[in-house]
Amino acid sequence: MSAILEVEHLVKKFGDHLAVKGISFAVEEGEVFGLLGPNGAGKTTTISMLTGILQPTEGTARIGGHDIRTDLEAVKKLNGLVPQDLALYPTLSARANLQFFGQIYGLRGTDLKERVEDVLRIVALTDRAHEAVERYSGGMKRRVNIAAGLIHNPRLLFLDEPTVGVDPQSRNAIFESVLRLNRERGMTIIYTSHYMEEVELLCNRVAVIDQGEIIALDTIKNLIAMLGGGVIKVGVPQVDEALLAQMSALPGVKEATLLPQPIAPPPAAGQAVEQKEGKPLTATPVVKVMAQNSQDAIISVINFLNQRDLQLTSLEILEPNLESVFLHLTGKKLRE
Amino acid sequence: MKALSIAIKDLQIFFKDRGSAINLILLPLLFVTVMSGALGAIGANQEQDTRTPLPVVDLDGGEMAQALLAGIDRAGGVLVAATPQAEATAALAAGDIPFVLTIPQGFTADVNGGQPTVLRFLTRSGGNAAQAEAVRLVVEGVARDMSLQIQLLAALEQMGQMQAGSPGASDAFSTERMQAQALSQFQSAATQPLVAVVQKLPGQELEEEADEAEGMSLADAAVPGVAVLFVFMTAQNTARSIFDEKRTGSFRRLLAAPVSKAALLIGKMLPNFITGLIQLAVIFAFGVFGLRLLGLAPITLGKSPFAILLVAVVLSVCSSAFGILIAALARTPSQIGGLSTLLLYLLGLLGGAFVPLFLLERFLGPLPKIVPHYWANHALTNLMVRGLGLADVALDLAVLLGFTVLFFAIGLWRFDFD
Repeated sequence: MSAILEVEHLVKKFGDHLAVKGISFAVEEGEVFGLLGPNGAGKTTTISMLTGILQPTEGTARIGGHDIRTDLEAVKKLNGLVPQDLALYPTLSARANLQFFGQIYGLRGTDLKERVEDVLRIVALTDRAHEAVERYSGGMKRRVNIAAGLIHNPRLLFLDEPTVGVDPQSRNAIFESVLRLNRERGMTIIYTSHYMEEVELLCNRVAVIDQGEIIALDTIKNLIAMLGGGVIKVGVPQVDEALLAQMSALPGVKEATLLPQPIAPPPAAGQAVEQKEGKPLTATPVVKVMAQNSQDAIISVINFLNQRDLQLTSLEILEPNLESVFLHLTGKKLRE
Repeated sequence: MKALSIAIKDLQIFFKDRGSAINLILLPLLFVTVMSGALGAIGANQEQDTRTPLPVVDLDGGEMAQALLAGIDRAGGVLVAATPQAEATAALAAGDIPFVLTIPQGFTADVNGGQPTVLRFLTRSGGNAAQAEAVRLVVEGVARDMSLQIQLLAALEQMGQMQAGSPGASDAFSTERMQAQALSQFQSAATQPLVAVVQKLPGQELEEEADEAEGMSLADAAVPGVAVLFVFMTAQNTARSIFDEKRTGSFRRLLAAPVSKAALLIGKMLPNFITGLIQLAVIFAFGVFGLRLLGLAPITLGKSPFAILLVAVVLSVCSSAFGILIAALARTPSQIGGLSTLLLYLLGLLGGAFVPLFLLERFLGPLPKIVPHYWANHALTNLMVRGLGLADVALDLAVLLGFTVLFFAIGLWRFDFD
């Protein structure tokens, strides 16, 4: 397989703010590639540069061999974009919307008609295509939004957070459409999301992006393997370098590090100061224990603390998945 | 082609929104009806209020001078105000009065003796040339009628004396001979009037503006003014459409498609342009046929339909460019809605949408000329009401095009494609 997308040191600056900090990656033809990161990580800005909406400040990319700086017209014909917003005309019917976007990509006459009917079939909306989009449910609107990105049969489809605000049934329908497009039509898909379950389900490879930088890029299997047996977050009354070293040497433990703590006014020792997502946020230190085997690691850590009369103030066990990968890499959760 | 697709899509959206369609197509007709009726009523009932004061220095004081002044009063539109010479000279110099008519000493004697005489009409440099010319034409008209009357009477008197002296030459005073003599006197009075008016420091645009005051009813002013106001109102739709596309994200989708930015902007401007032309066609058709059906005085379209079409095209382009300007500068829906509505009504007011231009200029001087509405209104009024041709509105068209270029350039400069 050859790379349909090659990104080289792409940078985007908005005034003094560096939104994308020189990212580089490549995507193979026929791949479903995930861009995973929290809101504001730089995913949409990256896509905007790759689709010609924004001009890069530095760096470039080639799509199907065409440079986005010098051959944007050809690049745009290869790309399909499904933006995060419902980029549709609500008072027009789904069919009228699709006809319009088809015309914008130069489709006319029979070709246009056939493509409109084809994409309506893909998103399963043929029966209600004559209705104004404003009468659709949120999920149906999302499906029309996807159909509009497919109208010109692009080689590379950018799906930017396509399931935001979608009910579970429509979400599944969207997943099915994405997988079918990839398997049956060989379409290359770049899928951005801050839902790690979606990326795990759909993507072959993932670039984890945070604060404008790619902090990891690999297959999902390899990324999760980084964590070994998972991550355990252990709250203790006090911690020092010696304690961390001893914990790192425990059976089943790969590494123990101190998690960065949020800045808060000094409370009484061990006292809960704030509620967040139903869990007590304590001012006491939290040790992140990367396990080789989570069961062995939990037992040995608890025994170790008991032997030293150290009270366990909190305990959280994270399964090895992309969420814990992200936590491991950035020290924060994907949806923070 | 892609620009056309964008335009057709926008027009579909526009005509699905009945509120906008009513606002831009039916509301102007309501304005035209109400303003034609109301202004027509003002014109009919309050004629005295609109008369222009004419300071007169009567150095003769004779019977013919009085007859002349009575004639000017009767002509309507001008209110004679007898003024001492010194006072008039000082007031004219100070700029307190725009003009003064001087009846020379010996005027009555000259007229009675059949000797040519000259009335002096002094105007202030930099004064309202249109108003001065309108008054001059009134004086000239009365003087011409007076000349004709005197010359005819003199001729008839002369013929009577001749008949009395030659009773046998009755055929010399046949009906045919009398008619021929009267016709000759008419022609003579027209080309060589006994009483002539000489104007000092004539202003510009005399003929044109004089026609305005003489020939234009207040109701005539309503249609071009309202048409211009509402064509510019359409600019809001362009701005709102662009804002909505940005808000929903479809603008990003268009930017990601193989559409040039120029085609995108042209596509967004075209519906404004087409809507503007439709508005003008509907408003003018209503002005010609609808007002008649409603029992109001209809408008005329003048002698140059091509020139009207050209003005309509340039006006619609200017409004479209204004839409891009609003879209580029407005940051919130309220700026597009409330603020720009206020601005557009203010510009319309200055441009003569609610008050006829010649009246507006009396109060505001050259101020209305700073808005494009004035030039469009001026051009349409010249063509439709005064029956002038394309050459006469060339300046108006040039200025409108200048505004168009200015709006588009600023709009493009400030437009946020990102």
